[in-house]
Amino acid sequence: MKKSLRGYRNGLGYLMLAPWLAGFVLMYLLPMIASLFLSFTNFNMLSAPKFIGFDNYARMFGQDKSFWKALGVTFTYVFALVPARLAFALAVAMLLNSKRKGLALYRTFYYMPSILSGSIAVSIVWKQIFGSGGVLMTLLNQLGIHQKISMLGNPDTAVYSLALLGIWQFGSSMLIFLSAIKQIPASLHESAKIDGARAGSRFFKITLPMLTPTIFFNLILQIINAFRAFTESYVVTDGGPLDSTLFYVLYLYRRAFNYFDMGYSSAMAWVLVIIIALFTAVIFKTQNNWVYYESKGGIGHDS
Amino acid sequence: MKAKAIFAAIIAVIITAGCAGQQAAPNPTDAPASQAPAAAVTEQPKAEAPPSEEPTAPDAKLSITWWGSQTRHDYTQTLLDLYSSNNPGISFEASPSGWDGYFDKLSTQAASGALPDIIQMDYLYLATYAKNNTLADLLPYADSGALSLGDVDENLYSSGFVDGKLSGLVLSSSVVTFPYNPAVLSEAGVSEPTVTWTWDDFIAICQQVKEKTGKYGLSSNPIDTNILNYYIRQSGSPLFAPDNKSLGYSDDSAFAGFAQLYKTLVDSGAAPTPDEWTQINALGKEASPVATGDAAFTTEWSNFGVIVAAVNPDIKLAVPPYSSSGNKALWIKPGMFFSVAQTSKLKDEAVKFIDWFINSEEANAIIMAERGVPVSSKIRSYLKTSLNKQQQDMFDYIDLITAHSTQAPPPDPQGISEVNKLLIDTIDQVLYGRITPDEAAKNFRSEADAILARNN
Amino acid sequence: MTAKGMPAPRIVSKSKGLPGSMLFHAVCLALGFLMVYPLLWLLASSMKNGSEIFTTALSLWPKTWAVFENYSSGWRGIGGVGFETFMLNSLIVSVVGTVLGVASSLMAAYAFTRIKFRLSGFWFACVMATLMIPGQVMVVPQYIIFRALGIINTLVSLAAPWMFGSAFFIFLIAQFFRGLPIELDEAAEMDGCGKISTLILIYLPLSAPAAATSCIFSFYWIWQDFFQPLIFINDPKKFTVPLALNLYTDPNSYSNYGGLFAMSVVSLLPVVLFFILFQKHLVEGIATTGLKG
Repeated sequence: MKKSLRGYRNGLGYLMLAPWLAGFVLMYLLPMIASLFLSFTNFNMLSAPKFIGFDNYARMFGQDKSFWKALGVTFTYVFALVPARLAFALAVAMLLNSKRKGLALYRTFYYMPSILSGSIAVSIVWKQIFGSGGVLMTLLNQLGIHQKISMLGNPDTAVYSLALLGIWQFGSSMLIFLSAIKQIPASLHESAKIDGARAGSRFFKITLPMLTPTIFFNLILQIINAFRAFTESYVVTDGGPLDSTLFYVLYLYRRAFNYFDMGYSSAMAWVLVIIIALFTAVIFKTQNNWVYYESKGGIGHDS
Repeated sequence: MKAKAIFAAIIAVIITAGCAGQQAAPNPTDAPASQAPAAAVTEQPKAEAPPSEEPTAPDAKLSITWWGSQTRHDYTQTLLDLYSSNNPGISFEASPSGWDGYFDKLSTQAASGALPDIIQMDYLYLATYAKNNTLADLLPYADSGALSLGDVDENLYSSGFVDGKLSGLVLSSSVVTFPYNPAVLSEAGVSEPTVTWTWDDFIAICQQVKEKTGKYGLSSNPIDTNILNYYIRQSGSPLFAPDNKSLGYSDDSAFAGFAQLYKTLVDSGAAPTPDEWTQINALGKEASPVATGDAAFTTEWSNFGVIVAAVNPDIKLAVPPYSSSGNKALWIKPGMFFSVAQTSKLKDEAVKFIDWFINSEEANAIIMAERGVPVSSKIRSYLKTSLNKQQQDMFDYIDLITAHSTQAPPPDPQGISEVNKLLIDTIDQVLYGRITPDEAAKNFRSEADAILARNN
Repeated sequence: MTAKGMPAPRIVSKSKGLPGSMLFHAVCLALGFLMVYPLLWLLASSMKNGSEIFTTALSLWPKTWAVFENYSSGWRGIGGVGFETFMLNSLIVSVVGTVLGVASSLMAAYAFTRIKFRLSGFWFACVMATLMIPGQVMVVPQYIIFRALGIINTLVSLAAPWMFGSAFFIFLIAQFFRGLPIELDEAAEMDGCGKISTLILIYLPLSAPAAATSCIFSFYWIWQDFFQPLIFINDPKKFTVPLALNLYTDPNSYSNYGGLFAMSVVSLLPVVLFFILFQKHLVEGIATTGLKG
């Protein structure tokens, strides 16, 4: 009985997973293995790859200043962007969680930046605001804070203006929060109200704990996306000034397609995978301590 | 265990299938069919197309790709349709593209042995593709007369030679120029540049423009190695060594002089800081300060006047300044090429089309010099009467420049993109005040040499 | 219950008070303006004369209007292929990719959260791994595989990466499922439901918010994808919108910026419509359907 139940579960599980598995093998697994192989070769895409062992990795860690620069820039970006974007997205989601008129309109407004991500319009507008002679510079000058160099033109601050761009595109995180907030049973709030809990304490005692699975999700996805950021820099700053916004993936892209160095680029990709996987694994490990699930079990718990 | 073996087999297939595409034989023209990539096994039935030496099959389908804007896509499609109706049985699989991503796709196709038959190629990457045996040698076709180069200046078409093979046929020519806005110059009370002016004249004019009008003298920073190349050639040496494994000049003071030139202009406000330049560059050529009347000069290609004609029809093209050495250093630069893929099974047909493209009046009446000044002298004189003012200026400029030019440098070496990037970064560091021009010269040499040695 | 005499913060937190309401709308509108400014810029640029777009880049009001010129020259497309073809291709790929992809993701998420099967932890790690590897280094092997399958230059090659389900949606929906009480399954089992009917009859209706969110994101992501179509599509008749938008301009020749911006505006319409259509499902979850209420 027990054995057949397990067999039934395995069969059913794999049946449900079958579409994803098929796509995974075809579109991810084989290319991933191929790219892992290529990371040990000198491959310019125009001639056959030549096996060179760990040379790409040795060059990366030992000689390539741009690699370390890109790594540093990317870490700065991740730590500047992720907490701020999550907090902002949650705050706006709370703001929009009421029964007023016009909410659908505001939701639509706030989602708009997310659908302009790689657009030339964003690139130009961002430069108009943060670039030389832009709105921000003019404003500060009028306030008597004299600026010689713009936020985007200053190598020390350019990456933060890209982080601001990322925060501005908070719409998708906000939507996810919003839909999660709406899932919290109204009865919980009502019974807490009867018990005399104020709005502030209801937020910390009910809303926040009930949102932890969503916060967990957003945190992981935002970290992964921030590490893989490409478009923001590619479109707005192209890595400059002085490589101060040279995102890891932008550099990887250049090595692959502009410098005909796909082998090296593949090696960089796998180093990035390991870095992201470590972050993700650590956060997954901590989830038992702070993430509240209505139903236990599931992901990461083998039978 | 079994799964492991299957995995290993699949990976082996992927790698070999993809990479066999470029394993071209040493002599590319003798037996194209036998060199079909292993990947071709997986191709559709049309792989049965005959080898190129045989007469064309009645329904040959040429694949062709190019980059450009809407205008170019529209008339190129018209051209292809016209060619098909002139040559029954020939049809095209056209793949127009924007500049963004064009070479990303091309390298992916090359890696998979799937290059189109006819490829619009940039000088920047010609050597890279040719050195890896992805492009067919067109010289035998020129020798046999299938590709008629009688009206093309030899200096110009020989820019397509890589390792003795004609890897692409140049479609147009262009030259470095210093376009200027005459109104801004007269506002500043300076006379227009002569054809023999010097860098010192140039700096003095730029600074006077800044003083008198508050506008930029020069509105651009370096974006690639072309101006540097011109500057270094004035010192009598090429930018890159003949074997492309290192820089070609030995005196670092030439580079330092180039960096100092920009530093002087930027420090005095006569040229934009890198911060300001980013803003200018982002808005495209149509909004260039020279066109809008906010600067006197910029550094550009000879088609600049045509591009900005709608914004400002009065832009003039100046010959770049001479150095005190008085050496001629300009060269007529090939604009873009048509190359034929080594893996193409329709090389004869592809060459025939290219020949028609550059030599026929019928085709060029449609192209109307949109890809740059045509390379055939016959076509140039054919078009002369139907050009607009800016195109006429561009044609005249190329004629004028011949007296100031010498032999064009060979195609850019492999690794050129990385060297371009290095140059921009190095000059930026000077302009940001992080390093001196002398340090810049030293850094540029050591890093450029490393890049060139690794790639060539 | 009147607002009279209550401390100010309470009024703000209450939804009925008039000053609080005004403050709320003022804040929301100000924020909203910051959010839609680039969109307004795009709209303004799409109506400006081509040469004016960048020379008066800061202005939101066209000096010379070129609405008809821009929209008609853009809509004409390139080389005889009109913009409606590009829109239709994008629509097909986005709808097919979204419908199949979200369905596959729902199934996978249900398997991961509600069925204890062998190696589920390992497979979930694989799901996450697909999020981590940069696509740029997988494009060459993918091209070779797609070529072997004969789907290069077909719309299938564009829907393929999405229609088998994506890690983002699997994870998103899984997190949502884990927020639902396990008693649901038990109750359903007692009523004689199998796992599959539980998914269809109970989880599907309840997961409207997560599914709607997934649909909104999926539609947009497929719609705006540039790299996949760039690499896999050759024939302009099969171009999607982002590829087409790349065709109007060229850094080194005469460009049609007016047409580009006009069609950029047009290309956003389906995305905005799709969002408006689906966004109300985002917020109609358990709270309004009354589970446990």
